[in-house]
Amino acid sequence: MWQFVDDRSDQIVYNTLQHANLVVQAVLFAALVGVALAVVVVWVPRLETLANAVSAIGLTIPAFALVGLLLPLLGIGAFTAFWAVAFYAVFPVLRNAVVGLRGVDPTLLESARGMGMGPVAVLLRVRLPLAWPVIHAGLRVSMQMSMGVAAIAAYVNGPGLGGYIFTGITQIGGANAVNYAVVGTVGVVVVALLADLLLLLLGRLTVSKGIRA
Amino acid sequence: MASDTVTDVPARTSRLRSMPRGTVTMLVVPPVIVASVFLVYVVWRQTATLDSIEESQLAWPTVWKLLGEHVRLTVVSALAVVAIAVPAGVLLTRGRARIAAPLVVAVANTGQAAPSIGLIALLAMWRGYGFWTGVIALTLYGLLPVLRNTITGLQGVDPTLKEAGRGLGMSATGVLLRVELPLAGPVIMAGVRTSLVLVVGTAALATFIDAGGLGAIITTGISLLKVSLMVWGAVLIALLALLVEWLGRLLELFTRPKGV
Repeated sequence: MWQFVDDRSDQIVYNTLQHANLVVQAVLFAALVGVALAVVVVWVPRLETLANAVSAIGLTIPAFALVGLLLPLLGIGAFTAFWAVAFYAVFPVLRNAVVGLRGVDPTLLESARGMGMGPVAVLLRVRLPLAWPVIHAGLRVSMQMSMGVAAIAAYVNGPGLGGYIFTGITQIGGANAVNYAVVGTVGVVVVALLADLLLLLLGRLTVSKGIRA
Repeated sequence: MASDTVTDVPARTSRLRSMPRGTVTMLVVPPVIVASVFLVYVVWRQTATLDSIEESQLAWPTVWKLLGEHVRLTVVSALAVVAIAVPAGVLLTRGRARIAAPLVVAVANTGQAAPSIGLIALLAMWRGYGFWTGVIALTLYGLLPVLRNTITGLQGVDPTLKEAGRGLGMSATGVLLRVELPLAGPVIMAGVRTSLVLVVGTAALATFIDAGGLGAIITTGISLLKVSLMVWGAVLIALLALLVEWLGRLLELFTRPKGV
């Protein structure tokens, strides 16, 4: 096992970074989309039922099925992987952002307006900071889910560690099959835990001082 | 009826009428989507000219066989999940074991970070290919939501109600079975639904270890570059997943005790 890792350490490090890179980019993009959609939903309350239904249905679609659907449109490789990961990552952020933005105490919004803030300032300086802890929790769920989706997307040559797992499956019975599968699986777990740790740290640093527990 | 019916909760209201709009939407919309998309598939299947590969992969007996395998994987794994996670959750809320609950949930959380495909691959290397390896992998993957919700649900039961049960002369087991579990039921069933969705989706990967299921149509499509197989294989799996999620919601609705 150590020999196996040692022989390929450069390549493993490269693929680990690729995995993290793919997931972080896709989740970041999804988070922006999710928060933007949530702002619209909070502005037009009638959309809330629709947003919840779309989230529930979207999250139900299996990742492997989505990869099969995207492949004919986007082709083999990183493009399909990016959109597959980003698709799922939107929903937890969207759902939490709606709950968080909606949960802000109306009297606070009232006083912000009373202080002379316009609607944009109220959103950016009061609503979003107060909703941020809830949005942040959704972001963590998205990030963890995306690690596994990215691994599945490796079946259509998406970048990252999933490729090792599929190599392990195709070489099953061969000398290095278990090594490949272990490196892929453990690698993803390590990246996932590190990413979660960084997100927790980010949460500590970015949650507004006034609402820190 | 008068306009004050919003606050007036009549005793004999139907289950549907007493639910918020979002819940009703999620009970009505998915089956409509599933039925109409499946109809589109049937029309396409009967009218399109298929080549020999498509003809054999999408032949009705083949599709039914794969669907049957997929459903069997899902049902057997989901039953195993409930049989393991609910008793484990009960144990972790009794007596001294209570202290271990946060630790067990933390470990399970970390385990959930493992990619499903990696878990399936490693289990196949250890236990060999086949249906039961698939079931073991899916069961492991589906445990966490039910375990977590069982613990949360049982912890959320009002202690005064347990006290009242004891006061009525019920034994500890009686209180568990007739007070705690029914009250925690909705939370546990929500976990079961989450698990079902995870399991039915992950079962699409079972084809990689010869455990069957509809994933085979997609993998054939990808390796032979047949767009129709990729797309319809994916659509059939997605429809099954939506149907399973919907059944989970129904189950949640009908196992809810009347008093809650």
